[in-house]
Amino acid sequence: MAEAVLDCLTDAGLDDLSAVEHGLASYESDHFNLQMTLGAILQDTIGLTPKPSVRIEGGGATGALALRTAWAHVVSGLCDSILVYGVEKNGRGVSSRTANQLFALSADVDWEMMIGGTYTGFYAAMIRAHMAAFGTTERQFAHVAVRNRRNAGFNPIAQKAMDISVDDVLASLPIAEPYKLLDCSLLSDGAACILLATEDWAKAHCPRYGERPRVYFSASGCGTDTMRLGDRYPQITNFRAKREAARQAYDMAGISQPLAEIDVAELYDSYSGVEIQAVEDLGFVAEGEGGPAVASGAFDLDGELPVNTSGGLLGRGAPVGATGILQAIEVTQQLWGVADARRQVSDARRGLTDTHAGIASISVVNIFERAD
Amino acid sequence: MSDKVSSQIEIATIAGDPTTDPWREFRQVERITLELTQGYKYSLGKYSRFFIELENRRFMATRCDACAKTYAPPRPLCPSCLQPTTWQELSGEGAVETWSVLHFSPGSNADVRALETPFVLAYVLLDGADTLFPHLLKAPPEQVERGMRVRVAYSEGPVQHPIHLMYFVPVSTYEEAP
Ligand SMILES: [Zn+2]
Repeated sequence: MAEAVLDCLTDAGLDDLSAVEHGLASYESDHFNLQMTLGAILQDTIGLTPKPSVRIEGGGATGALALRTAWAHVVSGLCDSILVYGVEKNGRGVSSRTANQLFALSADVDWEMMIGGTYTGFYAAMIRAHMAAFGTTERQFAHVAVRNRRNAGFNPIAQKAMDISVDDVLASLPIAEPYKLLDCSLLSDGAACILLATEDWAKAHCPRYGERPRVYFSASGCGTDTMRLGDRYPQITNFRAKREAARQAYDMAGISQPLAEIDVAELYDSYSGVEIQAVEDLGFVAEGEGGPAVASGAFDLDGELPVNTSGGLLGRGAPVGATGILQAIEVTQQLWGVADARRQVSDARRGLTDTHAGIASISVVNIFERAD
Repeated sequence: MSDKVSSQIEIATIAGDPTTDPWREFRQVERITLELTQGYKYSLGKYSRFFIELENRRFMATRCDACAKTYAPPRPLCPSCLQPTTWQELSGEGAVETWSVLHFSPGSNADVRALETPFVLAYVLLDGADTLFPHLLKAPPEQVERGMRVRVAYSEGPVQHPIHLMYFVPVSTYEEAP
């Protein structure tokens, strides 16, 4: 985490944090990290004491919810600058069996976890309903697994770039049918940090202000849904919370044609099929058309709207408390035009990040834009 | 138990020239193994009657008459009108709406650790209910299909978590308890 904070300072051209007014700790799990009040330790580690701090948690949406909360701190006038630091240790500390148990604790324990349920299983039941309703195929969602791992090859911080084919995905071990090993995202350790500030604060304190196009946090939406999939019956193919989050964010940003008006997006591909559901719920395509659209290459690097240019959760990795922040960093670098040339989207002016908790019991959509 | 390592994974900053590596004093990392176990004693609270009635081979849902909605799993509080609900017995028959075949069990408790993989996790629309109830469906995975008629079967136990006093079976293979 300290390394991510130092990277952030270098990027801003700051020598230290003395001018920064507020801290915000973003992490999901006291169980994985084996430390409660981790936020206080992190604030201490980077010498931000005695300044104010708050910890934000929202399952898989934690990082994006942290940025949304930090943004609210700034636009409300509570502070003019806030350091958002996110971290998680999901990757190496425990076995994948224990990791699945710990993640399953974020399901409804008595009714979903204790029967042997896992998130892979809940997502699998959901994509099966999507397949039954719209004819979505395993081959279509395998395309996501291939593309995102290929994009990861152009990202130096990615955890697991892979050069694989749709057939490799289809032939990989079944985990929770219809999801197979290569449809599943990664367990990761990682950290990320963003400094959010008003323009006046940045001008006054950041030596590198003006070197790159100014990117501002232009809109945010947050939606919620029932904890258990079964309670959403008969709407079990898609994410209602994501639709609500997108609606709010698009209203705020003045977007009516998201596919045409957004240039780059980082989507929550916890499982390959989830990206298909996301492109529908974010309004990029109509409900039921996500499968064919994804397979057509519309969301590839040379497609109409490149998504998961970073490699996504499938290729870059998914350290939960850092994930939404990593997405925002990827989008910002795309808007600055400083991403690796092999994944850089030309003249990207507006980017979106999409995350959710559980099977979208909480969903957050944040939008970033170039000011020039 | 511990091991001492130096790896790129432990410190993400690329070392480069050792004389200018900002973390050169910290590259060696020790890793240890901890075993922590906790027991939990907790109440099933307002949901308790559901589990108690499983011992009597009865499947209970809750109903909000004002909203005309029947909740299975039960909800003590109707989320639509915020009024307490009432218990209502269902037949325990229903139809599979969606499902997954799990080839991997996290072994969340002793009951789940005893399962053989693969097993079927099914979402069942019980007759008379308005929500889907998730549970194990003891049926050959290749025979499961949408709309398949299933019913609640009861277990005598002993079980660790009382949710395992029930599971689903296809109606076609259900046998009345002696
Ligand atoms: Zn009601």
